[in-house]
Amino acid sequence: MFNAKFKATIVTVLLFIGLVGLCSVRAMGGPQSSAAQAEPAKETWQKEFDDVCSKTQDAMTFSQKELTDLIRRCDALQPQIEKLDESRKKVYMGRLRKCRGLYVYVLDAKRNEKK
Amino acid sequence: MSMFSMQKGTRKNERRLLLLVLAFGVLLLGNITSAQIYLPKSPPEPSEYGKVILDNYSTAGPGAVVFDHWLHRSKFTCRVCHVDVGFAMEAKATGISASTNRQGFHCGACHDGKKLFEGKPIFAACSDAANDQQCDRCHSLGKKGVRKYEYRKFTAKFPKGIYAVNWEAAEKSGVIKPVDFVEGLSVKKAPMQSREDFALKAGYSWVHPIDFSHEKHSIWNGCELCHPEIFPSAPKGTIHFSMFSNIEGRYCGACHGKVAFPLNNCRGCHGGAPLWAP
Amino acid sequence: MNKKIFIALPLILVFCGSAPSQTGVKKKRPLPYEYGRVIIDNYSDKANLAPVVFEHWIHRSMFTCRVCHVDVGFAMKAGATGITAADNARGYYCGTCHNGKNVVDGKTVFQACSRKVNLEDEKRCVRCHSYGQKVASDFDFFKFSQPLPKERFGNGLDWEKSEELGLIKPASFLEGVSSSKGNAFVVQKDFALNPKVEGMPDIIFSHKKHTVWNGCELCHPDIFMGVKRGTVKYSMVDIS
Repeated sequence: MFNAKFKATIVTVLLFIGLVGLCSVRAMGGPQSSAAQAEPAKETWQKEFDDVCSKTQDAMTFSQKELTDLIRRCDALQPQIEKLDESRKKVYMGRLRKCRGLYVYVLDAKRNEKK
Repeated sequence: MSMFSMQKGTRKNERRLLLLVLAFGVLLLGNITSAQIYLPKSPPEPSEYGKVILDNYSTAGPGAVVFDHWLHRSKFTCRVCHVDVGFAMEAKATGISASTNRQGFHCGACHDGKKLFEGKPIFAACSDAANDQQCDRCHSLGKKGVRKYEYRKFTAKFPKGIYAVNWEAAEKSGVIKPVDFVEGLSVKKAPMQSREDFALKAGYSWVHPIDFSHEKHSIWNGCELCHPEIFPSAPKGTIHFSMFSNIEGRYCGACHGKVAFPLNNCRGCHGGAPLWAP
Repeated sequence: MNKKIFIALPLILVFCGSAPSQTGVKKKRPLPYEYGRVIIDNYSDKANLAPVVFEHWIHRSMFTCRVCHVDVGFAMKAGATGITAADNARGYYCGTCHNGKNVVDGKTVFQACSRKVNLEDEKRCVRCHSYGQKVASDFDFFKFSQPLPKERFGNGLDWEKSEELGLIKPASFLEGVSSSKGNAFVVQKDFALNPKVEGMPDIIFSHKKHTVWNGCELCHPDIFMGVKRGTVKYSMVDIS
């Protein structure tokens, strides 16, 4: 129906539109899921971190066994935090250090008491 | 002299003589310089004693400020200005400026045009108001006849000591009543128990020990003026308070150099000083 | 013998006594609004921005010490946190709250250090990067401190009483940041610290008062590592 020249023009135009579309989508950052636009869901390690380090206020009431367990959980979190991006790693490593440090401190105090 | 051979004119003799003269010169010079450091300088005229020139920024505007301690000293304890208001005791250390005064700090803590003293409002320091500027009352260096109070007239009835006003006697007799609390500035605190008087031995046996009275000092200074900045907490005997450091303006010299009473007044601290001392 | 020694020796003797001194002199007391001022200058200079001036008093009235120094993660020594503009832009450290979205008292909290900055943003940058610059602050210390009960030294304010009277309500929990609600801390009873200097009254130390604002991890073990009471001697020299 159409001549070759016209077909070639159509194909070129379509390709060009496609290219532009692709670039603009990439520039916008890809399709956004509705979940990401709201508060990002907490990752597993973060949930564990919150669980372990939210108990610092009760540190004095824990038994030596419980404290040892909490310290072990802190140690397990460390390699996961080390894999994070620069900013989060800096923040959470510091927080973990403080949190673990407190449990160790209270454990030492309890051991000393018994002596 | 056996050092010199019979022939005085030889080069060797010349060199020896030169060495001798030089050694003597060094000893003499050393003696003179150490005497300069060791002995406290004679204090200025009583009216000039305690005078502080504040010249941080004044060259840019109304001229340097002259602060005479004697006037404020008769009305307030040292603590009010040096602890509550926060003035330092070193030149250029406070960082007073017209803007801090206007904000109600430093001089402006009292000199705000509103606070009353003896029923009258105290003039505002560095006031912006065109009809209320009394700049020359403070910025008076080199200017004559601008100050309101004159030393001799003001201190005429005050008891005098060997040098100038005897402030301790003045307070005892009730001639001056230094205020220790300024409304809106000071915070009332329960007084702390003062330590007992104690003796400080001098480094030389012929010098009378110092009878130090915490009580006398804390009436005007409180505790925080001296501790811990001027006199840090250290076990007895670890800090060596010497006349050298006093003359430099450290420790006792922080006050008893330029303001409290001069260091030449040996008896002021060293009780019964030996006969030959002033 | 070298003749120069005769010149050098007396000079040495003269100048020996005039060593610069640290003790024995009275320094100025920082003005009430200056107390607690921290200058942050890790990278600002290199980025051609004035160093950051952080004044504690305004944040102190809004948050407990724990929120910033434990939950957000600020250190308590100069240079120890290592804050960068990138951290702030990503929503950490200052950026935790200063993200351009949070609303406090009806006002949106300005964003700290965005990724892309243009000329209009200068006003915003200068709010923090203000060392040596004349920048009008949103908060005036005089107005802020007027209604609060006064105390000697520091900011001249009785922070403890201010909280008791409800004049300030420091928040102890940041949604999405803090791990624990941190309200009831199980702590030791108050105890006395005996000074060595005769005549000085005992210090009555209250763990309860301190944990209300700090929690446990802020102090233990970083600042106070002694486990057995009496083993660590705290002296005024160390404290100052």
